[in-house]
Amino acid sequence: MSFTRRSLFATIAAGAVSSQAARGADDPLAIPGKRPMILHNDWPEDLETPVRYFDSWVTPIEAFFVRQHLPRPSKIDPSAYRLTVNGMVAKPLELTLADLQKLPQYTIPATIECTGNGRGFYVPKVPGIQWMRGAIGNAEWRGPRVSDVLKMAGVNSSAAFIDTDGADTGLASTPDFVRSLPMSKAMHPATILALSMNGQTPDIHGFPVRLIVPGWDGTSSVKWVVRISATAQANTGFFMNPGYRYPKYALPPGTPAKPAELEVIEGMPVKSSITAPDDQQKIVLGPATVRGFAWAGENAIERVEVSTDGGSRWRDAQLSPKKLPFAWRLWTLEWTPPDPGYYTLMSRATDTAGRVQPIVSPWNPSGYLWNAIDRVGVTVEKSA
Amino acid sequence: MRILILMGAGALLAIAADQATLDRGRKEAGLACTPCHSLRLVESQRLSRATWNKELDKMTGWGTKITDREALLEYLVANYGDDKPPSPPAMSKNGVPPGKKQ
Repeated sequence: MSFTRRSLFATIAAGAVSSQAARGADDPLAIPGKRPMILHNDWPEDLETPVRYFDSWVTPIEAFFVRQHLPRPSKIDPSAYRLTVNGMVAKPLELTLADLQKLPQYTIPATIECTGNGRGFYVPKVPGIQWMRGAIGNAEWRGPRVSDVLKMAGVNSSAAFIDTDGADTGLASTPDFVRSLPMSKAMHPATILALSMNGQTPDIHGFPVRLIVPGWDGTSSVKWVVRISATAQANTGFFMNPGYRYPKYALPPGTPAKPAELEVIEGMPVKSSITAPDDQQKIVLGPATVRGFAWAGENAIERVEVSTDGGSRWRDAQLSPKKLPFAWRLWTLEWTPPDPGYYTLMSRATDTAGRVQPIVSPWNPSGYLWNAIDRVGVTVEKSA
Repeated sequence: MRILILMGAGALLAIAADQATLDRGRKEAGLACTPCHSLRLVESQRLSRATWNKELDKMTGWGTKITDREALLEYLVANYGDDKPPSPPAMSKNGVPPGKKQ
């Protein structure tokens, strides 16, 4: 989207400056519909879920993280909404929301994780939002398949990618947010245009139409979709290159990547995180439950092991029953610390393809794909 | 003795100059960064001088008008350098209307 860029820039810039002046620098704002969230950026809103909210398999919208590269577009009028489908198609389309609702609807449970979740753990520090554990959530997305929309448009068999553009617009000369998706993933039956999230309208998560690319990094799942174009080549805009690329060959920490050796990120790695106890929490001596989540991109989680002694001995955690590709599993381990004192708790996931979470997550200049074995410290105190 | 007094005055002048630069840098951050994002995005990071400098290049490339770049860089390094302790996480206020089912 670019036709309203200048006027939108003026409006948003004026609004941002005046609202900042009105609030003052240290007066955190409330985000409509959201519980208190870890605030990384007041505008555009970048919000992390505190780990204590991760107590259900489906993450409620009220607790779901928010990542925006550009200011979110003003609320789209559902009756005026149009999805443009063009490019290498026999029959370009302008679809209304009703047209999309008439297509067969599918529910896809999928975990969405920001590509940079865990960036704050990397040493040396890298620029970008310093997410820790909470730029992730699991939701039930529902809507038509992208493949059905492309078939309706008569997509050319030599088209190799789709470009997806959201209604959000770059400020100043910030690049527009456009992402490319290889046709094989676009045609996958689980790749949908979500019209609802957990049975509700997705609002800040992409109302009225959001692309869902299950198992891939969150940035692939473009919000506020207004255009899909079938193309022969991948898009070369900033958010495809150099944005959201990962070194083909691991780098010594703190060193720059060779641009020619950066690759587009696709499926996500295997990962688990500890959500309770919280890092550096104090607990009372007695039975305790260690909790967390684990997911593995396009695979399912096979196993989660937990250590309560800094990685010397490991025990299998209890996993939540649904063993699905694309969606996380929650896990628990009952633990009775033998003595008071400081304990290092760790979690390690294995997926259905046999991938195991590493001890060290490879450093990379953009801080993507953090998936090292998770680790929290907890102090166990005698009861008074 | 006289030399010591002169040295002391020089050091004071140097500190004063630095503070003036940092003040200019703070003002520049408010002007240059906030049309596109809040200052919290800047203040929550801890980066080396070289990395902050690269960020300024990136933002300039995206159309940010920086008039006092030297002061801005000094301000960022002095307050948000990679040798500084991380800032405690800020929380947004509750935005869920009372009584709404969660």
